[in-house]
Amino acid sequence: MAFLEFNQVSFSYPQEGRFALRDIQLGFSRDGITAITGANGSGKTTLTKLMIGVLRSTRGTVCLEGRSLEEYSLGEIGRRIGYVFQNPDLQFFCSTVAEEISFGFVNQGCRPETVEEKIQYYLDYFELGNYRHVFPLHLSHGEKRRLAIASVLATEPSFLILDEPTTGLDAYRKRLLADLLIKIAGAGTGISLVSHDQAFVNRLAERVITLEKGRVVWDSGEGRKHG
Amino acid sequence: MANLDPRTKMIMVVCLSILALLYNTPAQLFLLFVFTLMLLLFFNFRLNVIGVYLKPFLALMLFLFVVQCVFSPSGLSILSVGQVSLVTSGGLLLGSSMVLRIIVVTAAAMLFTTFSPRDFILGLVQWKVPYELAFMVFIALRFLPVFRDELVNVITAVQLRGVDLKKVPWKQKLDLYRRLFFPVVYGVMLKAQHLAVSMESRGFRAYPTRTYLRRLNLYYADYIVMVTFLAATITLIVMGP
Amino acid sequence: MIAGVDEGWNMSKKAVVIRGLSYQYQPGGPFALKNISFQAARGEIVMVTGLSGCGKSTLCFCIGGVIDYNRNGVMTGEILLNGKNAGNIRKAAMALEVGVVFQNPDTQLFSPTVEDEIAFGPENLCLPPGRIQERVEQVINLLDIGALREANPCRLSGGEKHLVALAAVLAIDPPVLVLDEVMSQLDQSGKNRVQSVLQRLCKAGKTIIAVEHDLAAVAFSHRLMVMEEGILVRCGNTETLLADRDFMRARKLIGLEHNY
Repeated sequence: MAFLEFNQVSFSYPQEGRFALRDIQLGFSRDGITAITGANGSGKTTLTKLMIGVLRSTRGTVCLEGRSLEEYSLGEIGRRIGYVFQNPDLQFFCSTVAEEISFGFVNQGCRPETVEEKIQYYLDYFELGNYRHVFPLHLSHGEKRRLAIASVLATEPSFLILDEPTTGLDAYRKRLLADLLIKIAGAGTGISLVSHDQAFVNRLAERVITLEKGRVVWDSGEGRKHG
Repeated sequence: MANLDPRTKMIMVVCLSILALLYNTPAQLFLLFVFTLMLLLFFNFRLNVIGVYLKPFLALMLFLFVVQCVFSPSGLSILSVGQVSLVTSGGLLLGSSMVLRIIVVTAAAMLFTTFSPRDFILGLVQWKVPYELAFMVFIALRFLPVFRDELVNVITAVQLRGVDLKKVPWKQKLDLYRRLFFPVVYGVMLKAQHLAVSMESRGFRAYPTRTYLRRLNLYYADYIVMVTFLAATITLIVMGP
Repeated sequence: MIAGVDEGWNMSKKAVVIRGLSYQYQPGGPFALKNISFQAARGEIVMVTGLSGCGKSTLCFCIGGVIDYNRNGVMTGEILLNGKNAGNIRKAAMALEVGVVFQNPDTQLFSPTVEDEIAFGPENLCLPPGRIQERVEQVINLLDIGALREANPCRLSGGEKHLVALAAVLAIDPPVLVLDEVMSQLDQSGKNRVQSVLQRLCKAGKTIIAVEHDLAAVAFSHRLMVMEEGILVRCGNTETLLADRDFMRARKLIGLEHNY
């Protein structure tokens, strides 16, 4: 049984006639890195939002560990799946960078004596140490991206979804991110990422899913083309 | 007919709202409500859509209803505790008038959703409203949903970091909301500022006037409807409540 | 023939001249830009690259004339746009000198439809409706976004939003364009399209200053500027700079494709 499973899922945005996604049949397991690619507007972001229950399918069901996502609260999903939004502005809600990083694990009951250590680790790895007390929305775009990834990784989810994690990152930071993702995947976390960045996808992904106009047209995990 | 000029619809909304404010008895207001409902159906509104728009006001309506019932007692006492009459016939009537009034004004305002905000600006500007003012109203209207989306986003983001808002004890929840308040409001302000910067960088207010790609035209039907509505409203006001 | 001479003189003129530009977001705070000087000619594409946080976006804000929304900031130095001192240009008239596409695609679109978004600029410039329509059609064809015409800009994907923002600026037709990572969220076909549009624009005499991280996307520019912690460390012919692998590696600018 796959960790996350799409059973004939279709989705259309309210007030819009056309389907953003149509008849999606996919399984995501908790090992390895899967890349979701496709042209702009092909439904990649919509697919990831369905994976974490922010959007609900119009037809078909999405299952997490065998149960329909509808049975979970967002909090329960959030403890299993980490999600990095395409636009980092949308996921910040704390007053400082350090608070943003620690929010997840503090609220999930991390031992107080390890909080500081964990914050420092993520500040260091993502080179945000100088911005510890800065308001997150005041950071530059690349710094926001790093903070967004750091604050989600800090919750140590068992599955990780990243929507365009490389936009705004320079080549050096991209490499750091790639190294980290490989390390996390090696430690047993499933990763799905949406990306246009061919070099990044080639470097990381063991499985590539390609969307075209809301349909899966290629899935290397199955090694076959879809109709 | 559904393609009436936005300005015609604005006049309709204003007339209906004025009448709703002047009328005091539930009977009059109910008639006004039925009329507004008919208008909305005429403009291809479905009843369930009207329900969706009214829903956010339900709590407010209930609150006002109770306040009116309890605090403006008159007429016969219907329900009393000891010597104090809680619900009176007069209070009940006032309460229901208040609720009907809100429903009529909200329902009338729904006519605004039958045309694009762009036409709203055009309509105002062609009636010599300064364009800065028209855009201000437009941006304000546009920012209401942005503010709502921002709240939804933040609440989603908080939960996705593993916090079950429904299960958090209310004291802790209150503390969480208090902490979120400042960053969210500040974030919206930053966004508003960016929006202003990008409008200005595209030449907004470069000149005292500006031109428009499209023009709105008033047709005979518009004039007829406008005059009818205005005349009817004035007659009803003069005739007195 | 005086007209011809005049045109030749204009062509040789520098569209953007920056002398000793420094910027602090707070008085006494760290320098986001330190003593930057460079020039860009008409018809030139200059790309700016460097690690994130090095001041690229700040430079864009300065050239685009929108930095003063930050009221505490301190700017010194001089910016000349098309021969005029940017400090003396009326703020609202800046749009005629320079067009800016910002990095965040979400906060620069506000109109109900894509067509209105594009028409917004020309409307502000008081063009007659016929001319506005013409410009709207031109940029829609140029960027091939006809399918999005009636869409609500808020509902578009990240890459599409950038295309619309670019279209909206192109419709104003300013001589200088400043683009802050507009290609980062585009798919390959979108990148190619934007690249060919930029090349066409520079042939028509526009000056383009663009920030990009992706070295594959900067290769078609004439000149490359490399920034580091607010300092312009090197500025030169793009091909030469990209070929200098040791330099690029030392600046941590070479990506995954070259390292594994």
